[in-house]
Amino acid sequence: MKLTTKQLTLCGILTTLALALSVAENQIPLSLAIPIPGIKLGLANIVTVFALYVLGPAQAVLILLARCLLGAVFAGNMNALLFSLMGGFAAMGVMILLSRLRGLSVYGVSIGGAAAHNCGQIAAAVLSLGNTAPLYYLPILLGVSLLTGALTGLMAACLFRALAHTDLMKG
Amino acid sequence: MTLRSWRKVGTPMNTSPKLRPGLWDALVVLVVAALAVSCGWTVWDGQDRGTELTAVVSVDGAETERLPLKEAAGTERTIHAGGYTLRLRLTETEIWVESADCPTQDCVHTGHISRGGQSIVCLPARVIIQLEGGERVDTGVDAVIG
Repeated sequence: MKLTTKQLTLCGILTTLALALSVAENQIPLSLAIPIPGIKLGLANIVTVFALYVLGPAQAVLILLARCLLGAVFAGNMNALLFSLMGGFAAMGVMILLSRLRGLSVYGVSIGGAAAHNCGQIAAAVLSLGNTAPLYYLPILLGVSLLTGALTGLMAACLFRALAHTDLMKG
Repeated sequence: MTLRSWRKVGTPMNTSPKLRPGLWDALVVLVVAALAVSCGWTVWDGQDRGTELTAVVSVDGAETERLPLKEAAGTERTIHAGGYTLRLRLTETEIWVESADCPTQDCVHTGHISRGGQSIVCLPARVIIQLEGGERVDTGVDAVIG
């Protein structure tokens, strides 16, 4: 895969943005309202949705990989890497498939991605703890992903509207 | 994947995404909701009932302690795991983490658990406290969160 300078720059900026959003959402104590380990808004998913449509799946995967690796390095927690990779790639896989369906809007794609992200994270928790107890949280997390997915979908839709006049959207 | 489709990957999509939710999006919502319900059905309903309520403590995936709540009622336990310390409190009907020195505090925020199948998970310390047995009770979603 060959990247143009513009694409490479955009990938770098989007990776930074995704990392910044992850840090920012850690300041929002969603886990106080719903006390489940690892529950979050998934704001970084906006970047993934955006990259998927504007840059295509290959570069979206690159951005995701860079985000997960750098995020784990910054947090100094390699255990978290498994969680973000499994969640991130489950979401990416589902969103690549869903984004190919003509009938779906960014909302559907984003909700599907959020649900898959939670499934991936629960799978990581089951693997890492060697116990199926985390499965107990899956139904609640899936329910929550309807809301968080719709929220990130809304923000992605706003983003696409705001950038509609730029040459970014024309590829 | 053929070479041609690989080449297509990585080139920007020329069709702009749909920005308004439609019927197909509702279908995705339905599928996720159905998954949540069916998953809740299997996970929350498949517990052994009719035995004494017992708290099972696991560290790193291995069971370390079984505490029948009737016998252990009124006591306090301290769990050292993964460099963290969790203080457990037990009554005849409930168990909860009173305090922990982990950075996330999810286990403390989970609060009291009192039914078979419920669990408190502490990811940093890799500790799971799971309740087994107890009377059969209908599990409503509202009760699980608290």
